[in-house]
Amino acid sequence: MVDLRRMGVERLARLRVEMRAQDVDGAVLMHGPHVTYATGHVPEAVDASHANHRRAVAIVSAADGPARLHAHDPVNEVAVAGAETGAPLWLELDDGAAAVGEAIAEVLGDVTGHRVAVDGVTGAMARAGVLDGAELVDASRVLGPARVVKTNDELTCIDQAQRYTERAMVAARTACVPGTTRAEVAGAFLAALREGDASEEGSAGADYRNGIDPIFQPMPLRRDGGSRTSTGHVAFPTGVDNPVFTEGDLVWVDAGVGWHGYMSDFGCTWVPGRAPTAAEQSLCDRWMAVLEASLAVVGPGATLGDVGRAARSVEQDETPWLPQFYLAHGSGLESAEMPMIGTDLGQAFDEGFELAAGMVLVFEPVIWVDGVGGYRAEEVVAVTDDGWRRLGAGDHYEPFRS
Amino acid sequence: MSNDLVLARRDRVLDAMSDAGIDVLVLGRQDNAGYACGMRRLWTAGTRPFGAGCIVVGSTGRIHVLSSWEDGIEPPMTFDDLYPLTWNPRIMAVSMAGIDGLAGAGRIGVDELTPSFQRAAASFAPDAEVVAADNLMADVRLHKLSGEIEAIARTCATVWVGVEAVLSASERSDPAAAAIEALSSRGVTVPSSGVQVERRGEALAIDIGVICDLYEGGVGGVFVDSRRAGSSALVDACRAGATHADLAAAATGDWLVRGLGMGFERPVIGPGVGARERLEAGMVLSVTDGPHRDVVHVTADGPAVLSQRP
Repeated sequence: MVDLRRMGVERLARLRVEMRAQDVDGAVLMHGPHVTYATGHVPEAVDASHANHRRAVAIVSAADGPARLHAHDPVNEVAVAGAETGAPLWLELDDGAAAVGEAIAEVLGDVTGHRVAVDGVTGAMARAGVLDGAELVDASRVLGPARVVKTNDELTCIDQAQRYTERAMVAARTACVPGTTRAEVAGAFLAALREGDASEEGSAGADYRNGIDPIFQPMPLRRDGGSRTSTGHVAFPTGVDNPVFTEGDLVWVDAGVGWHGYMSDFGCTWVPGRAPTAAEQSLCDRWMAVLEASLAVVGPGATLGDVGRAARSVEQDETPWLPQFYLAHGSGLESAEMPMIGTDLGQAFDEGFELAAGMVLVFEPVIWVDGVGGYRAEEVVAVTDDGWRRLGAGDHYEPFRS
Repeated sequence: MSNDLVLARRDRVLDAMSDAGIDVLVLGRQDNAGYACGMRRLWTAGTRPFGAGCIVVGSTGRIHVLSSWEDGIEPPMTFDDLYPLTWNPRIMAVSMAGIDGLAGAGRIGVDELTPSFQRAAASFAPDAEVVAADNLMADVRLHKLSGEIEAIARTCATVWVGVEAVLSASERSDPAAAAIEALSSRGVTVPSSGVQVERRGEALAIDIGVICDLYEGGVGGVFVDSRRAGSSALVDACRAGATHADLAAAATGDWLVRGLGMGFERPVIGPGVGARERLEAGMVLSVTDGPHRDVVHVTADGPAVLSQRP
């Protein structure tokens, strides 16, 4: 069971530890996941243009006391119990900038000469001189280290989001047959998310928010078989067009659904209307070997470099992940957070980053054989005191494994 | 999407930059980037941290976007106008150095200001002053081109497919799921505000807002026996020259009049906001009065409803 009130108290405490350690006196947050972290409020999962105009804002002082929340959307009273709420603000509009300045002054006082962490400053805020005189720093500098280690309640939320996504994906896999389109399969998934709400006890279902236009992308079978890329590998996820599935397709699936703001990350590979070939099955078997080798070294004190080396040790000819991405990434209020393993940040970054209990890793290796195609799936784990544990039910590898 | 429309929007942006003395625009907002170059991207919900997603260079007339592949780009943009996805600020700086006309820029306009971009700009364009250009983009987008009006009307017609599906599935445990399926059969899976359905006795309150080919459409209302009830007085008040007071006087419930195009746009007029705004011909507005919502094109001859039931 998740305790929303406890989760909020622990998050705000973690944020303040980082603020004090970095001599940050206040934070003015307007990026949705940051507002959630500071106040418990989860903005609706709408288009960015709507979210930008109807931004929720959190204002946090490094001193004790409640965080301030200004939201347009209805709030979950339990989740935001630790925050004090104010009237909605219009940060995009010159008309609304004065009220933003007043709210900041109420919580932080005169910011002149103080360090204030911000996600950004809108044009209207800049023109009105809101935050003039403060030394501004990027909010991710304090939110990043606070968020990277999850509390038990946060891990419970991710686990629940993952299980819920896995359940709705059953309807999508049934719909994914030759002749259907990407959007129709997405519709089956999104409808199942909604219909699942009614069977949930209480109002829990209303807390699920779809975070991404779900991806069901038929992949080329050769690296040069798709669109031109700068990586020399295949383009994924493109998120455009509405292809019709045909027999012979290898379909890469990727979706993310939030529960109390915490994102699932569901990945797998499907073969519409048939069983995998022996060559395709071999891709999956090698993928499993990479996952197992990686997980074998996951635990507190292991570096990202250790995990990357373990993955490479079973696929020595070629790096077993997409060059623009990673072997694994963190996940929480956003679905691609730190720690990231095997990115273009380079080996020195990976060697210098140690795993700790409470971190989340989403493994997404890719095994590719030109002419056969690729196998890609995702497995979500939390680092524990003595290794790792799976988040979600983890039985989503059909039709390759049942 | 018609390439003429992409080019017409791009020319508007370049003209506005020239008028405002902005050498380079760096756009982090997807709707602004979509307006400037027509690029379609994977949709994700909610706010995104500011990043250099799209760069418009006045001196070359070229537009560059952050992408590692050419899917989703529209002519005249080519693969050579892309810079690749990276997690590494040093690699990003190399990409920025490779964009003609950026290093010597005098004024760089951004649609959101952040400390990290200020710092990065000082290195890749050392002489540049970074200024807010949100108003530049909002002003360009305020008056719609005829191709935009047509695109918005098409999305509104698609929204009705979802509404009709809800009305014929009222016995379903969540009728909103029927709308989601019907919209997906038309290839539409991206929400603007999304699908809301609420039972009110024998009536259904429905509001649907989606995005199709980058343009938003929407409609809302209370339906009894599949007929939409409610007042259209606020729609009728959406005329060139109308003030906040005019709109407030016409509204019968909780109301909001806001720009609609590539999503939520300016002007924004409602209780406590937009007191100095005045409607102008050429605007397209989402007009909400209680549960009733229509999309309205303000013309010289009065309001034209783009969200009529087909």
